[in-house]
Amino acid sequence: MAEFDDIIHQPLRLKIMAALNALPVSAGLEFSRLKKLTGATDGNLGAHIETLAKAGYVTVNKAFVGKKPQTTVTVTAAGRGAFARHVATLQEIIAGKQG
Amino acid sequence: MIDSKEASAALADIDDIVQRVKQSQLYELASLAAIWWGILVFAGNLVTWLWPVYAVYAWVAVDVVGVVGLVALRLFNPPHHPQGAAFDIRLLLVFVLFFAFGYLCTNVLGHFGPRQLGAFWPLYFMLFYMLAGLWFGYAFVAIGLGISALTLIGFFTIGEAFPLWMAFVNGGGLILGGLWMRRI
Repeated sequence: MAEFDDIIHQPLRLKIMAALNALPVSAGLEFSRLKKLTGATDGNLGAHIETLAKAGYVTVNKAFVGKKPQTTVTVTAAGRGAFARHVATLQEIIAGKQG
Repeated sequence: MIDSKEASAALADIDDIVQRVKQSQLYELASLAAIWWGILVFAGNLVTWLWPVYAVYAWVAVDVVGVVGLVALRLFNPPHHPQGAAFDIRLLLVFVLFFAFGYLCTNVLGHFGPRQLGAFWPLYFMLFYMLAGLWFGYAFVAIGLGISALTLIGFFTIGEAFPLWMAFVNGGGLILGGLWMRRI
């Protein structure tokens, strides 16, 4: 039986993980792109990314492109695994095996 | 724990965001292609306006450099799945068919003059843009409609400066459209 992941299930964190998981392995999304995709505010997005980073699901890389700071968020292998398990759990709930 | 209704909603949210990511990646690549063609088309029209005698050479160069650039763009940005990493020959075939049909229309079925050619190719190109947009995103339709409308306005109202008009409408339009795609 798959496991329900409370960290991922929060609506904005679910969107962040879904967006990052849709990318090829080791590819990341810039903070501004992620903000546009999820429709979140700077503060809210930053806080939820931090929660995911603390759980080891994403890594955050801060760099300067020219003089402009750029934050890139990438999903980790553990994050991909947790996301896959969470999706499996959701599918099981729909199929009536849980909940 | 959540119920099946909430689980369905969560999966729908996931599908929605995955589609948005895919569209965002598509727009990013398409924007580079649009900017690339825009620069070339701007140059081609400018040559046509300033040195009409060299126009035919300019457009051959624009088409060849344009296609080579798109192939390179595709090679440097392969689709994100293992089977898609190799170059797809169908991309080249699309261009061969596109130009062959255009040539058939303008030189065999009809005998278009420079002005008609200047309007035909952008309208023909934008037709494909708009058709692609029905599947891949409204930005293609908006750019195609805008450039087509301005091309027709110029064709019917602008005199000798039509190539200059087309440099800004077609070349500039593609560049602006490409930049716009990167922001949506």
